[in-house]
Amino acid sequence: MDFKSDVVIGIECHVELKTDSKLFCGCKRAGEADEKPNSRTCEVCLGHPGSKPVLNKKAVEYAIKLALATKSKIAPDLIFSRKSYFYPDMAKNYQISQYEIPLATAGKIKLESGKEIGLTRIHMEEDPAALVHPAGMEKSPFVLVDYNRSGDPLVEVVTEPDMESPEEARDFMKQLITILEYLEIFDVDSCIIKADANISIKESGYVRAEVKNITGFKEIERALKYEVVRQKKEVADGKKLIQETRAWDSDKGYTFSLRTKEVEAEYGYIIDPDLVKVELSKDWIDSIKEKMPELADEKLAKFTGKHKIAEDTAKVLAKDKELANVFEAVAASVNPDLASKWVRRELPRCLNFVRKKFSEVELSEKHLIDLLKLIEAKKITESVGQKILEKLVENPFDVNEYVKKEKLEIVSDSNELEKICSDAIKEAPKAVEEYKSGKEKALHFIVGIVMKKTKGKASPPEVLSILKKLIK
Amino acid sequence: MQIKKIIEESKRINNEFHYFNTISEELATKQSENPEPGKLKGVVVSVKDCICVKDVESRAGSKILSRYNPVFDATVIEKIKQAGGIIIGKTSQDAFGFGSFSTNIGLGMEVPLNPFDKERACGGSSGGAAGFTQKASFRHIALSESTGGSIVCPASFCGIVGLCPTYGRVSRYGLMDYANSLDKIGPMAKNVSDIALMMEIIAGFDDKESTTLNEKVPKYSDFVGKEIKGLKIGIIKEAFGKGVDEEVKKKVLDGIKVLESKGAKAEEVSLPLVEKYGVACYYLVAMCEASTNLAKLCGMRYGKHEKLEGNFNEYFSKVRGLNFNDESKRRIIVGTFARMAGYRDAYYIKAMKVRTKIIDEYKKLFKKYDVLVSPTMPVVAPKFNDIEKLTPLQNYMMDIMTVGPNLAGLPHMTVPVGFKDKMPVGLMLIADHLKEENLIMFGAKLENGL
Repeated sequence: MDFKSDVVIGIECHVELKTDSKLFCGCKRAGEADEKPNSRTCEVCLGHPGSKPVLNKKAVEYAIKLALATKSKIAPDLIFSRKSYFYPDMAKNYQISQYEIPLATAGKIKLESGKEIGLTRIHMEEDPAALVHPAGMEKSPFVLVDYNRSGDPLVEVVTEPDMESPEEARDFMKQLITILEYLEIFDVDSCIIKADANISIKESGYVRAEVKNITGFKEIERALKYEVVRQKKEVADGKKLIQETRAWDSDKGYTFSLRTKEVEAEYGYIIDPDLVKVELSKDWIDSIKEKMPELADEKLAKFTGKHKIAEDTAKVLAKDKELANVFEAVAASVNPDLASKWVRRELPRCLNFVRKKFSEVELSEKHLIDLLKLIEAKKITESVGQKILEKLVENPFDVNEYVKKEKLEIVSDSNELEKICSDAIKEAPKAVEEYKSGKEKALHFIVGIVMKKTKGKASPPEVLSILKKLIK
Repeated sequence: MQIKKIIEESKRINNEFHYFNTISEELATKQSENPEPGKLKGVVVSVKDCICVKDVESRAGSKILSRYNPVFDATVIEKIKQAGGIIIGKTSQDAFGFGSFSTNIGLGMEVPLNPFDKERACGGSSGGAAGFTQKASFRHIALSESTGGSIVCPASFCGIVGLCPTYGRVSRYGLMDYANSLDKIGPMAKNVSDIALMMEIIAGFDDKESTTLNEKVPKYSDFVGKEIKGLKIGIIKEAFGKGVDEEVKKKVLDGIKVLESKGAKAEEVSLPLVEKYGVACYYLVAMCEASTNLAKLCGMRYGKHEKLEGNFNEYFSKVRGLNFNDESKRRIIVGTFARMAGYRDAYYIKAMKVRTKIIDEYKKLFKKYDVLVSPTMPVVAPKFNDIEKLTPLQNYMMDIMTVGPNLAGLPHMTVPVGFKDKMPVGLMLIADHLKEENLIMFGAKLENGL
């Protein structure tokens, strides 16, 4: 092997697609939270004799979207194969998957650093059932099988061994999830994303361990960090590493060996004769292309280029599809710089307060535009704006009317403001004293009093200059 | 005839000849109480054991599916029920369709006996269906299934008509798979008219079955009695060669003369690839697919269970070891071998390529001919003690006539054309894809002219 880096990592990632029904039958893909085991099943996903699969075209469309987003080469036809092996989670003891000709090949995903990770292949397959080990995987004397998951649509994304650290592996998973969310083919709440990672280190001469079933991008970093330490220690202890398959126990934070005898897996693939070849025609792919949303990379380029906002803010916004779209809508009507700051900080702060996503609240872009326009025109202060946004998130209303009704406009009448300022000066003789003795900051205390009196409706710079004038 | 009498007679025949794995007395009685008005109103239909009938034990002739009562009806069964057909029971067969004589039956089951001579086989794998069709005194149509000849072989040995449709013409939804790319459901009956009638009911597109063809279904009955004057027959040269019984040849040639007397024109044609590679290609494709289909039978979700012991691998092996018969095990082993890495290119992939060539060979002939003709089987139904002497390979060679059209997915039909030593001889007609009506036209003329 001609690897050079200290650590070499490749990932096989299984992503559940956000379809309504399963890949080969009409059963619902996602169940209710309190569903009973084996309730969301039929003769097809239970593998009963005589039942036959019928392909869910929506799932194919979703997988094609991922192939397009990763600039993969799409095969001319979709062909399914039977991957045979005996296991209790397999309804038919073969899995309908793809073999010789996967849906797509030769794609790539860009990391935050700009480094590109090659994708060997993207293929479609059905999920097996879930195995439940009541006393933990290592100790349970028996296992329960729940077929609710059986037949869920998955795409498997296989990378080249291009990653050189657990951090890169984590970032890869993050970038992948961002793409999936942009494409709206994946839902964090109802879809499973699992990875198997191959990892080896230079010191052992790159003897591979495959770590199975890691869920989520934080976990992949933890699991692989553990592996690097483990493998280095074994080599340092004079042990010879062997090629093996290991499992990651997330609760206990370690990997353990599942099997070491690495015979080349024998799956006896044949083309599934129950499914006809589906042509992935240019017309079909073109029609999917038309429905493709702009992706994070394109958004980022647009935000820094067209909207000219700061790169760090642009990155934060582009990474979150929802915020990115809100920003774009708002920036079309108000100053992009102001919009970017509010969408990056104030909006998530307020949403976080009610523990909801933008799509889950009634607040619309229009409300934000109205609000920011008032700030832009200096009709209200930023602090008044923040308070209005907090209320808007809970229960939206017409911003302009509200501001009028509640008399929240900036106090721009300077006579009135001067009167309030001189009242405030009288209330804080000590601060005046301190200011006069050279403590500039003491004035902020008096500004605070003015803001309180005006319910935040005064512009702090203006108040400051009035105060300075009065105290002189 | 009253349903009670029909059930009685069926039981009586079954006791003597073993044509049923299950007689669905309850279902048949219930259906007869309120018969659906339809084309099949009151017609008794038997169903090969491998086709799922809801709530009726369906074992595909194997012990491993003991007490498996499907939770759904096969699409063909739905259609038959709607048309008013009365389901009398599940007919005996070689387990999973693995055989040509219905002697590879499930463990603990009984071999169906030829209706003309109880020392001889019915043929297979749809032996029970063919035997019962010959024996029943009342109007009856059998629903059977063919992978490599399992309809026409037993129909020929039992002296009845059997039609195997174009692949994809009839939905396989609910058919327990032998080899999915080869399996076809088709009817058996005493006459061509009933075959045509049943085809009208069961043919057609099914959105639950991806390989069904979305093509209009002709009114097949209209082709019974239609003239064949000027139509062309190709006589398959290789099917009259070495190893084919002289008397069988003669009866089939007599049948062709009947067709010529009705105005059809016959000439010799050749199918060298089919003769040379047909059987090998068929068995490779069939066994590869079969070995994956049978994997699901492991005593875990349905069918025969055994005492839970050991790990899952040991348990699955025990269930499969105790409940599959020898031929099932043979085909699983051969089929698994032929698709293993390192062998699959030489066997499975090559067989798939040869299959395409064989289809091309037929398609060329159908540019010129309306039907092709050959004997259905090279011999008449053999005696059980002669079958015992055959090696597995000799056994497989029995299918030499029938594997070709099955591999190519072509519709074919056997029609009785006389007897040799009191045993029936069948003539096989083969037509181009979706040209079942040609079979009906020629078959009806032949039936009439004998």
